[in-house]
Amino acid sequence: MPRQTYNIAMVSDFFFPQPGGIESHIYQLSSKLIDRGHKVIIITHAYDDRKGVRYLTNGLKVYHVPFLVMYRQATFPTVFSFFPIFRNICIRERIEIVHGHASLSNLCHEAILHGRAMGLRTVFTDHSLFGFADAASILTNKLLKFTLSDVDHSICVSHTCKENTVLRASLDPLMVSVIPNAVVAENFRPRDYKESPNGSGVFGPNTSPNRLGPTDIITIVVISRLFYNKGTDLLTAVIPRILENHPYTRFIIAGSGPKAIDLEQMIETNVLQDHVEMLGPVRHEDVRDVMVRGHIYLHPSLTEAFGTVIVEAASCGLYVVCTQVGGIPEVLPSHMTTFAKPEEDDLVAATGKAITAMRSGRIRTEKFHDQVKKMYSWSNVAMRTERVYDGVTGKISEEEFYGFDTGGYTGSRIRNFALIDRLKRYYGCGIWAGKLFCLCIIVDFLFFLFLEWWQPRESIDICPDWPRKVPPEEKRHSSTSRGRDPS
Amino acid sequence: MLTTLPHLRIRRPSPTTAEFTVTTLPPPTLALRILRIILIVFRLLLFLAICTVLSSRWLQSPFAAPLDTYPLWPRTWLSTDTLWYMAGCLHRSRLGVALGSCAARIPLPLLVPGAATLCYGIALRVHSSESLLVLRGLGVQTSESPRTYLASAATRFIPTEKIQDIFVNEAFRGFEVRYYLVVVVEGEEDVVVVFPGLLPRRHIVEKVWREARECLYEKAPRWGIDEKA
Repeated sequence: MPRQTYNIAMVSDFFFPQPGGIESHIYQLSSKLIDRGHKVIIITHAYDDRKGVRYLTNGLKVYHVPFLVMYRQATFPTVFSFFPIFRNICIRERIEIVHGHASLSNLCHEAILHGRAMGLRTVFTDHSLFGFADAASILTNKLLKFTLSDVDHSICVSHTCKENTVLRASLDPLMVSVIPNAVVAENFRPRDYKESPNGSGVFGPNTSPNRLGPTDIITIVVISRLFYNKGTDLLTAVIPRILENHPYTRFIIAGSGPKAIDLEQMIETNVLQDHVEMLGPVRHEDVRDVMVRGHIYLHPSLTEAFGTVIVEAASCGLYVVCTQVGGIPEVLPSHMTTFAKPEEDDLVAATGKAITAMRSGRIRTEKFHDQVKKMYSWSNVAMRTERVYDGVTGKISEEEFYGFDTGGYTGSRIRNFALIDRLKRYYGCGIWAGKLFCLCIIVDFLFFLFLEWWQPRESIDICPDWPRKVPPEEKRHSSTSRGRDPS
Repeated sequence: MLTTLPHLRIRRPSPTTAEFTVTTLPPPTLALRILRIILIVFRLLLFLAICTVLSSRWLQSPFAAPLDTYPLWPRTWLSTDTLWYMAGCLHRSRLGVALGSCAARIPLPLLVPGAATLCYGIALRVHSSESLLVLRGLGVQTSESPRTYLASAATRFIPTEKIQDIFVNEAFRGFEVRYYLVVVVEGEEDVVVVFPGLLPRRHIVEKVWREARECLYEKAPRWGIDEKA
């Protein structure tokens, strides 16, 4: 049976040219899905001069929706104004699955809401952790609960993130999958990396580790935005103590942010100018060049959903010292990392241990790259995401997708599109919120009926598809299974 | 009924010339002709009524010459007297009196703009048509029909050596994404959109694009959109 391919719309406020983790996640995932024979478009809002319809490599089409910008500046959620244009795009691209990204993206929530009203399958990916206590979090969580009440499936980047999302949005844990981020390992090679001929490096000549002498300099790299939640205060506190205990170490700090001034003050007061180098902001493509200058990567973050940067560091052949918060403990195997509690004493002790281990040559950092390459690849992420798509569209049966539920829940997890069933799901959101959400849904549905009359489906031109790729494993089977039959 | 969806008409007066017209004019049938005549008559009558209302309002003002000074019978038929005579007849008739009393009731700030809007509405064309004329070796000429009967068609000629490319693009327009044909002109910042008002459907735009390139460059386009999709 040929593998089914889908027309997918990735919707998020965050996309290139703005740099960031979510942006590159969407891009990498989309291009790998295209490689697997799917059709993917991206819907985002316009950035300055980046508006209209654009194509990226591989025929990845990006819609920079322009008219949202004036509202974006005022950060006003345009609940219904996005619907006509979203419907138009979905119809002309023959979208089957709407995939929203990032819980702070207003566009993503609206797309999921309208997508369900139009009878499309929806998937949501959460990239970040949130608290439960402050006012902003409570609002975001309520909004999240609203849109996720009716979403077909959710994806989180780590198990910690999943736990967080399940609690915030009161979801059924079985309806949340964990698919981690990945790195493009080719962009994060160690300094003297030689591609072993058989690709695995297992059968290559066993080089002895280059042992560092007691007076050789060990360089510790820190690359992060210098914000409170990234643990810059912790870093400011530990650097003098580490340098006191281990004089033959150096620090390289890259990144900018409001806490940079604290670091500079610390350097001034302790006279550490020749021990600590501050590089300022570094572009993502230059991160590797900074990383390979060091031996140890220090990650003092206070909260982190996944922490792609530590995977990148390990891929560059750096030993990682990090705080045991959020999703970080799941990311790397224990022989690549030393964990510390997010406090000063423990971080100093952990870094000390790491420096001693590096000097004794017990850590084989030169093997890290190949190991990371095997663990994290975007093709794998795309494959797992595709399974989620199969599950929500009913390509694989419910029993197979969700497994047997021992919790005693007997209802179906396939979300049907009947308005009354959708309303039931929203009604459970809260005493007042439930009624408000139901009202929103009814208005949305009426608006949908109005749009069907105002802009009939037949009056919307269908886009020609970019020539689809033949998935590699199907090439030898037949040449007729090119994507879906264009109906 | 008087208009249709934009459709394409191609005229080829010579092998090196092609005119692509996108128009909302439906194919002429007897019923349609009669309907158009009725529409024209209706428009004329409406115009006459508006003129009557305005002039009777003028008569009610202290500056106007009274109705009694209007000639009761023209001395010769081929003079302005005839016009005044007919205006006088119209105002004295029952319909003229009714319209006059009507004009007296409407306040002036409402009457004048209202009449102007109605006159503009009468002058509006029912159909619109936009065309692209391709002349091999010379260039292309775009033209669009004016909105009213009073203006003349807006045309623009682009010589071949100034044309950098002709292509189909898509863009956001209002609440939708539309396909459109553009001509990139050398030395100009903005592109020239062909059929800017009607923005016909994709199949029309693609057909015009293909044939215009063929006609202009004597060969089929080097690249194309996947026809099968």
